[in-house]
Amino acid sequence: MKSISELTDFYYKELYPSLNELETARKQIVSHLKWYGSMGIVVFIIVALWMEKNFGLFHPLMMGVVIGFIAIASIAYRFMISGYAKDFKAKIITPLIHAIDPHLLYNPEFVISQHLFERSDLFKHAIDRYSGNDYVKGLVEGVPLEFSDVHAEYQTRDSKGRTQWHTLFRGLFLVAEFNKHFKAKTVVLPDQAEKTFGSLIGGWLQSINFTREGLVRLDDPEFEKHFVVYGSDHIEARYILTHSMMKRILDFQRRVSHPLFVSFVHNHIHVSIGTGKDLFEPAVFTSLLDYKQAMEYVNTLQNTIGLVEELKLNEKLWSKS
Amino acid sequence: MQIFLILLGVLTLIAILMYNSLIAKKNQVDNIFAGVDAVLKKRFDLIPNLVASVSQYMEHEKSTLEKVTEYRAQAMKPGISDEAKIALDAKLTSALGAINIAMEAYPDLKANENVMHLQRSLSEIEEQISAARRAYNQTVTDLNNAIEMFPTNLIAGWMNLQRRAVFEITITERQNVDVGALFNQ
Repeated sequence: MKSISELTDFYYKELYPSLNELETARKQIVSHLKWYGSMGIVVFIIVALWMEKNFGLFHPLMMGVVIGFIAIASIAYRFMISGYAKDFKAKIITPLIHAIDPHLLYNPEFVISQHLFERSDLFKHAIDRYSGNDYVKGLVEGVPLEFSDVHAEYQTRDSKGRTQWHTLFRGLFLVAEFNKHFKAKTVVLPDQAEKTFGSLIGGWLQSINFTREGLVRLDDPEFEKHFVVYGSDHIEARYILTHSMMKRILDFQRRVSHPLFVSFVHNHIHVSIGTGKDLFEPAVFTSLLDYKQAMEYVNTLQNTIGLVEELKLNEKLWSKS
Repeated sequence: MQIFLILLGVLTLIAILMYNSLIAKKNQVDNIFAGVDAVLKKRFDLIPNLVASVSQYMEHEKSTLEKVTEYRAQAMKPGISDEAKIALDAKLTSALGAINIAMEAYPDLKANENVMHLQRSLSEIEEQISAARRAYNQTVTDLNNAIEMFPTNLIAGWMNLQRRAVFEITITERQNVDVGALFNQ
């Protein structure tokens, strides 16, 4: 597996011609955006002035006009960058993934199956809308793994019958085969209660969480501070979460610096990283040659695919090999 | 009068809740110990196989092998107490560890497929035992806390609940392996 610095080298050396090409396209898009954007603002001001004259500035229709303009602008924006985004994924992300492992399959349009996301049992709410992209699948060090961007939402209705969409999870979702056999379900979640209310009250709140199976208290204080563990089988939870495994998960958490959700179901490990945004999308307003931007692509891919090595999922036990 | 009755009702309710939580904790300890027992038994079942396969090679470790067999026989006796079983498990773990290290010195053994299989099965079971021990220690700590802390200690005293022993890591396990000493053996 290539290191971060090797991949950064690859990004700047091998991909340089494509980057340059895309950079020209990006600059063109930005200048188009500026032109259309200022046109849009002028049109908006004219409409707004006309509205003010006829209905007054705080008329309910004004709200509709604002929403309409935002909708048109976002559709136009998506339309304008779609070709560029497609090129970016074909010319930058695809070679980058293949540089990490040439056998990995990558499909920018596809999303990891909703069944797997629900099976992980990381989020208890029912999902009403499920989408995503940038699907990667393959064997890493002999371990089957797949991941993609996921955006899971649910719907609520307020008293006036208006529907509202809420994001349940947005970020990266990964499933890989685990190196140990187990039957029960073990779920590791970020510890909100203990952080907010302290260990005494927070711990008590966790133990009476009715939506989850039994609370498993583990013997690593550092791990306990960051995570809360629920599981139906206390022995199996500790068989999976050995001291070294807890340490590795903690290390991983420190590196990704986003909320981390991990579950062990059906002999598989499920990992959700709540980045809160769509990953692997091309930068529009910053240069693709920008170091920070490049590191974001390289780091995300390396961290995700490197998870197999990081958690030592490739060290098979006797009965599994 | 009414206030007194309400107070009495509340106190009774609290007492019942504490009583039930203590019973739940005690049963949880027994429940997890059954799990510990199951994995320990798995290991006991492998020991005769291991001893039979390695004894012809390991002349110098005869005494350790005999000890392992003896511990197993003791632990398999019916009616043995949980505490005694815990103590035997600790001894067995360190003796098996010693055998594991000694095996390094016998290239014939390492070439033996059957022995290597046994050894890997044992180390997998060792991981399960370690998980079971940790689960047991946590539930025992919960129970012991409840027995000693106020106000559950009052009810626990009346119920005559006893503190339980936890699995302790043997001293040899806690020490880092001294590679130099191994070569000088």
